[in-house]
Amino acid sequence: MQVEVSRRRFLQGSVALSVIGGTSLSVTNLLGGHESQDEKGETAVTTKTGTGEATEVATLCEMCVNKCAAIARVENGVVTKLNPNPLFPKSKNMLCPRGNAGIQALYDPDRLKYPMIRVGEKGEGKFKRVSWEEAYDAILNGTDKFPGMGKILEEEKDNRSSFLFCAGEGMAEHTFKTFYSAFGSSNWLNHASLCLQTVISGYGVTIGGYAAADLENAEYIIMAGANRAEAIVTPDTMDGFKRTKGRGAKLICIDPRFTNTAAKADKWLAINPGTDLAFVLALTYVVLTEELYDKAYVAENFNGFDEYSKSVIENKYTPEWAEKITGIKAKDIYKIAREFMAHAPKAVYYPGRRSTFSNNDFQLRRAMAIFQGLSGGIDTKGGLVFGKKLKLGKHEGLEPIYARAESRAIEKEKHPEKGHSGYSDCAVVSGGGSWIAWRNRFLEGHMPYKVRGMFIYKHNPMMNMPNREKTAEMMKKMELVVSIDTMPSDTVMYADVVLPECTYLERTDPVKTFGGAEPSIAQRNKVLDPMFETKPVIEIMKGLTEKISKPLFEITKKYDDDVKEELADLGEGEEKKTPEQKAVEIYAEFDLTKPFEHSQEEINRHMVESVYGEEAVKTLQEHGVFYPNMDKFFKPLSVNEHQYYPEKEKAYRVNGGKPKTPSGKIECNLPNMAKKGIDPMPIWKEEYNFSVPDGKFRMLTGRHAQFTQSGTANNAMLRDLIFENYAWINRRVAEEKGIKFGDELEISSRTGKTVIKAYPTEKVGPKTIFFVHGFGEESEALTWAYKNGGNDNAVIEDVTEPVYGAASMHETNVEIRKV
Amino acid sequence: MANYGMALDYKNCINCKACEVACKEENGVLLGADKHRIWVGANDVKGEWPLLDIASAAFLPSQCQHCEEAPCQEVCPTNATYYNEHGVVLVDAEKCILCSYCMNACPYDARYVDDRTMTVDKCTFCTDTRLARGETTTACQNTCPTKVRTFGDLDDYDSEISELLRTREHFSLKENLGTKPKLFYLT
Amino acid sequence: MAQTVEQVEETGVVAKVREFISTIPYNKIGIKDLINYEKTPLNNLLAVLIVAFLAMFVIGVASYLTHGHHAYNITREHPWGLLIAVYIFFVVSSTGLCIVGSLGDVFGFKDYELISKRAIFGSIVTILAGFAVIAFEIGHPVTMLIYNVLTPGLTSAIWWMGTLYGLYLTFMIIEFIFLLKHDMKKAKIFGLTGLLVGLAAHSNLGSVFGFLNARPISNGVYYPTYFILTAFITGIFIAYIMMGFRYKMNWPEPVKVMLTNLAKIQGLLISILIFFVSWKMLTDVYGGMPNRSEVAVHIFHSWTFWAEVILAMLIPLFIILKDMGRNINGMFWASLSGMVGIFFMRYNLVHDTQLKPLQMMKIREYQLSPEWIHYFPSSTEIMISLGGLGVCLLLYYIGSKFFNLDADEQH
Ligand SMILES: Nc1nc2c(c(=O)[nH]1)N[C@H]1C(S)=C(S)[C@@H](COP(=O)(O)OP(=O)(O)OC[C@H]3O[C@@H](n4cnc5c(=O)[nH]c(N)nc54)[C@H](O)[C@@H]3O)O[C@H]1N2
Ligand SMILES: Nc1nc2c(c(=O)[nH]1)N[C@H]1C(S)=C(S)[C@@H](COP(=O)(O)OP(=O)(O)OC[C@H]3O[C@@H](n4cnc5c(=O)[nH]c(N)nc54)[C@H](O)[C@@H]3O)O[C@H]1N2
Ligand code: SF4
Ligand code: SF4
Ligand code: SF4
Ligand code: SF4
Ligand code: SF4
Ligand SMILES: [Mo]
Repeated sequence: MQVEVSRRRFLQGSVALSVIGGTSLSVTNLLGGHESQDEKGETAVTTKTGTGEATEVATLCEMCVNKCAAIARVENGVVTKLNPNPLFPKSKNMLCPRGNAGIQALYDPDRLKYPMIRVGEKGEGKFKRVSWEEAYDAILNGTDKFPGMGKILEEEKDNRSSFLFCAGEGMAEHTFKTFYSAFGSSNWLNHASLCLQTVISGYGVTIGGYAAADLENAEYIIMAGANRAEAIVTPDTMDGFKRTKGRGAKLICIDPRFTNTAAKADKWLAINPGTDLAFVLALTYVVLTEELYDKAYVAENFNGFDEYSKSVIENKYTPEWAEKITGIKAKDIYKIAREFMAHAPKAVYYPGRRSTFSNNDFQLRRAMAIFQGLSGGIDTKGGLVFGKKLKLGKHEGLEPIYARAESRAIEKEKHPEKGHSGYSDCAVVSGGGSWIAWRNRFLEGHMPYKVRGMFIYKHNPMMNMPNREKTAEMMKKMELVVSIDTMPSDTVMYADVVLPECTYLERTDPVKTFGGAEPSIAQRNKVLDPMFETKPVIEIMKGLTEKISKPLFEITKKYDDDVKEELADLGEGEEKKTPEQKAVEIYAEFDLTKPFEHSQEEINRHMVESVYGEEAVKTLQEHGVFYPNMDKFFKPLSVNEHQYYPEKEKAYRVNGGKPKTPSGKIECNLPNMAKKGIDPMPIWKEEYNFSVPDGKFRMLTGRHAQFTQSGTANNAMLRDLIFENYAWINRRVAEEKGIKFGDELEISSRTGKTVIKAYPTEKVGPKTIFFVHGFGEESEALTWAYKNGGNDNAVIEDVTEPVYGAASMHETNVEIRKV
Repeated sequence: MANYGMALDYKNCINCKACEVACKEENGVLLGADKHRIWVGANDVKGEWPLLDIASAAFLPSQCQHCEEAPCQEVCPTNATYYNEHGVVLVDAEKCILCSYCMNACPYDARYVDDRTMTVDKCTFCTDTRLARGETTTACQNTCPTKVRTFGDLDDYDSEISELLRTREHFSLKENLGTKPKLFYLT
Repeated sequence: MAQTVEQVEETGVVAKVREFISTIPYNKIGIKDLINYEKTPLNNLLAVLIVAFLAMFVIGVASYLTHGHHAYNITREHPWGLLIAVYIFFVVSSTGLCIVGSLGDVFGFKDYELISKRAIFGSIVTILAGFAVIAFEIGHPVTMLIYNVLTPGLTSAIWWMGTLYGLYLTFMIIEFIFLLKHDMKKAKIFGLTGLLVGLAAHSNLGSVFGFLNARPISNGVYYPTYFILTAFITGIFIAYIMMGFRYKMNWPEPVKVMLTNLAKIQGLLISILIFFVSWKMLTDVYGGMPNRSEVAVHIFHSWTFWAEVILAMLIPLFIILKDMGRNINGMFWASLSGMVGIFFMRYNLVHDTQLKPLQMMKIREYQLSPEWIHYFPSSTEIMISLGGLGVCLLLYYIGSKFFNLDADEQH
């Protein structure tokens, strides 16, 4: 086994955070004329697997949201390979490029290695290495650069909500959320309002759940606004492309861009961005007027069908009408509507994932869900599937009630109209909140009370929220920022205290149950001990709470009248307690360390053992995956295919083919919504027409198969596949403007600007610009990600849709200029 | 002795490049745009937006074809390139003098120079890693999300690959050159 | 004293070889004589150039030794670069000189005997220069020496080419020694063998390209034959240049006669070459064979192709035809032009073979579709190449000091 120099060097020591960056031009470059792609340093970091002794650990990938099952091969203490684990029905024996490149995340020389506290100006990225104890102390007591938690809570009189907690998606997000609950703030924000809020909610209120699409059995698939060949979602990506191209499943791709999904589709139709709602309404119109829908199903399972039908027909949402809006030919719309229903119920209008493309998105998802319902393809094989989820035992958290904690910082309408929810941000406030609305309100000073500190877990809002400038301002204004991350991200640069978590390969995470037609439970097992001084978040929380729990309780005791009262009430007679006893008793309710007493391994054991017994615990430790009867059901069918459940054991019609709404019906009409100012039924409105002035372009953003949002930009292996993102611009437009491949463009909007290279292509229309999200970080501590291309959120404007305040990512016009 | 080959259900390929990354991690292939044993080719899509020719955008995964009549082997002056007992075309780094003749002779552009040994390298069918450990799949096959690849023994009538080649139409690349490739593209 | 002791100890072959070597006539000169040359401006310039080239050689080699092939602009798609072209340039020169040299002492054309020794020496010098260059292109020359013998690749044109050139060099040296010793019979035997081996080696070099099935532009019988033809042409060009320097353009009568004859031969050869090239281009372009015709069209549009045609073919032919080969001064200059043209011919051969990518698809997200493979030598490659020229000139200069390269007065 060969271990490369750079990896060895990395394993030996650390690279000082502030000194990284800068490009060295080697003599080789001067002498040889090669355009050296490795100007930024040596990246030879692969390690050949050996034939000798090796241990294999079953774990789960965390390079993106999917959590595919992996088996790590460890040789001489080095992870040499990550292989797919065939046992997991969700990932079906595959690891995508990012999953394979997880090794590089583990051995990334730029990793955060020890706790740090800020010594320079905010955002400057100057930190001092400290011990964990010092870091915790700085969080509690502050330094000369920033105030501590104690001071803030003291000044805010124990208003726990003066701290914001935010997290990106992750298996240990739950652990962090436990801390948030125990801490007692009501300000929680997560990625939902930047990601999938509208689709989850749209399907939720309409059919009772964000169901999975059974692409394995569907015969007809409309995939609109989802790019499964590049935005990988399991098992859809694996199932979706094995039968397309005339091999049993017809795939219609609707996307303004010609994506890899389009390349794999049987038909691709370019749609004007943001007009999918008109497209679906027209499909619905055809199905209604030609009475192609499943009448029996509709009769039995629909609420408000007649109203909706009337609305669609009377509004004349004809394909001809839609053609003008969407740019899709009427005859194609007729054809698709008819074909879809002909294949029903083995037909899927794919729900999508990242959803808020435009302001009408919630209504779009509702219209999609209803359209799906019309086919009867709900809770059925080949259609949408609710599936089953395997139960897990409970792990106790702690949810003390702080009298002084204010409710969520949401702006109330000054003079709410009757029937209106009374919030100005948006109509409905979801669990994850509206990130943009929250941030903007914070900046504009429209907060009901002061929020002064924030905890960030596995989240990079600096990169991932539209209008980067405003996020930076927010981060600067926030007096105490604590970030728990693995990499010196752009967000970390704005932190006051940086707590380095170990990577996913160095920790056991909360055991998780994965629903679907083939449900299972999976567990991430630790592959290596954490390197450097990093720790899993659960241990970070343990250490932190041990430090802050008592001092914070002292503050509570001072300001919280309920607590004061309770402490004073020593009881009567037999029950009477000493003040000390009472103090201990009350403190127990506020003891933040309690949820973190047990190790993750113990917690997992408990959660599994209590339901499935000791064997299941062992199976999860050894194989990473468990479901009842796995030993009997699981069978390799060929080298590439496996059976997880026999056909009859699959959870196809768990709800008898019915929707899962409280009423048990598909909800076409939601009068309650109207009370909040939301259209009760999906309709098209004049205001949805988005115009792109001459000379400008509508900005689109999205995924690439080799990158995960902002999180993988510094991954040496992936970067090797794409050095930087490029702006897709229509080839003919580029020609007119004299723009050639690789020319630098400045893309600007009202929000800001970014510089990116041009990629003239026919894959995008003349009025749109696209670039892959996640590039162009500005943290100099990221050797390879630093300014590697254009940063979309520097230009995307902070528009939110009205229902959940989710980010409408594609409502921005930009200008381009050759630089 | 086995006679290894690979069948590719190439219409499944989504150009994700998991195979390329898996190959690099498994076999310790150097990073660098030109240092790869396996690749997926794509053409610029034909037509003008929005009327594009989907078929012109097919993805073609490829790697060393392990030719039965390998030009790279024929031209090698020191026999550094050789067939092993399983018909796999390999390079013995000890003997390679880096004359680069094979790189010019391989019609599939399957070879590159490994900067550590400064010798020519290429796909080995994971002979010295996975196969050496007794595993039966290659890294690229194993990881592929859409299961494009099937690796196996062409001489074994009962192997999956033999079955596939018997039952499905297939073609090989640059067949006219007479190299007798052992990568088969299923149609 | 000591010598006699050794002589006593040495027996058999060794002694014979020693004795043989000691009988080779050479000028006993010292370092002083070596650096002593006639200080004409041209000679000064040449001296400076040689020193400069040698310095470049040292720098180039140092750069290669520290950075390996990274110091070159060769890539996966274009693995053969300038050094291969320069190597070919030298070995073709060598073969050409060998042919010219053989006219007199192998084939017995009396007129040409007066250049035999010089040409044979030139052929040794040029092939050594070629080897000096290729040693830094082949990644592992030492490995080559070992495994060429241990595990010979008998199907490899490179193996045959390399091995035959090795043999050829040996024969040339032996022939040269016999020429020096004025043993014309033995010189003839070794000369003939050397010539045959050289021609074999040389057409094998052509076949290195000819065998490339993957490269329709080079594939086939064309290069192996064309190489012999162009070698002869090259030999004649160099003969002119060597004689021009030897006689400082004051041509003695026999030299004049010989050179006029050579010019006539050259005229014929160049005409044939033009005929060759025309048909090659015509069939390539209009043959419509994929991967060949478009490459040929591309070549047709490249300036290097026209440099080759004009400098190596049209200018010399024009000069020859104008005065039926009698304008010897003109021919001298035309030969210089010719050699530059021949250099382009070699460069084009190597580059054009690799022009067309073998893999025409994009393999990275953001790249242009592969069209033509671009290559321009790096400074290291250029320095080593010029260094090769420096080595060649230096060896020739030293040789001309040590040995009498003129024809011996009487037989
Ligand atoms: N313009 C634009 N904006 C977008 C999107 C878009 O397409 N375009 N997409 C949106 C969507 S769908 C989403 S989901 C969001 C995603 O936004 P985020 O939730 O911010 O996700 P990532 O960009 O992956 O950043 C994750 C951060 O977590 C860190 N990290 C990775 N692993 C670990 C770990 O194990 N522990 C800890 N503590 N930290 C870790 C990474 O270093 C990185 O800083 O972005 C949204 N924003
Ligand atoms: N490789 C990879 N896979 C991932 C991720 C990743 O970062 N990398 N991230 C994961 C996460 S968090 C998410 S949320 C999902 C996202 O998964 P997706 O939502 O499928 O992916 P996106 O690329 O964000 O957007 C989908 C497509 O919508 C198109 N589009 C834009 N506007 C419109 C429109 O108005 N109408 C229509 N019909 N199409 C439009 C875009 O061109 C893009 O191709 O991917 C997940 N999987
Ligand atoms: S899809 Fe890829 S990155 Fe995401 S979890 Fe699976 S293997 Fe990891
Ligand atoms: S892993 Fe499979 S789908 Fe992905 S690029 Fe390779 S062959 Fe294609
Ligand atoms: S594909 Fe190329 S490298 Fe592989 S065996 Fe054939 S000729 Fe040799
Ligand atoms: S480069 Fe190596 S493997 Fe290739 S032909 Fe030359 S010696 Fe053989
Ligand atoms: S078979 Fe092995 S060596 Fe060859 S491309 Fe696949 S992973 Fe790489
Ligand atoms: Mo997302």
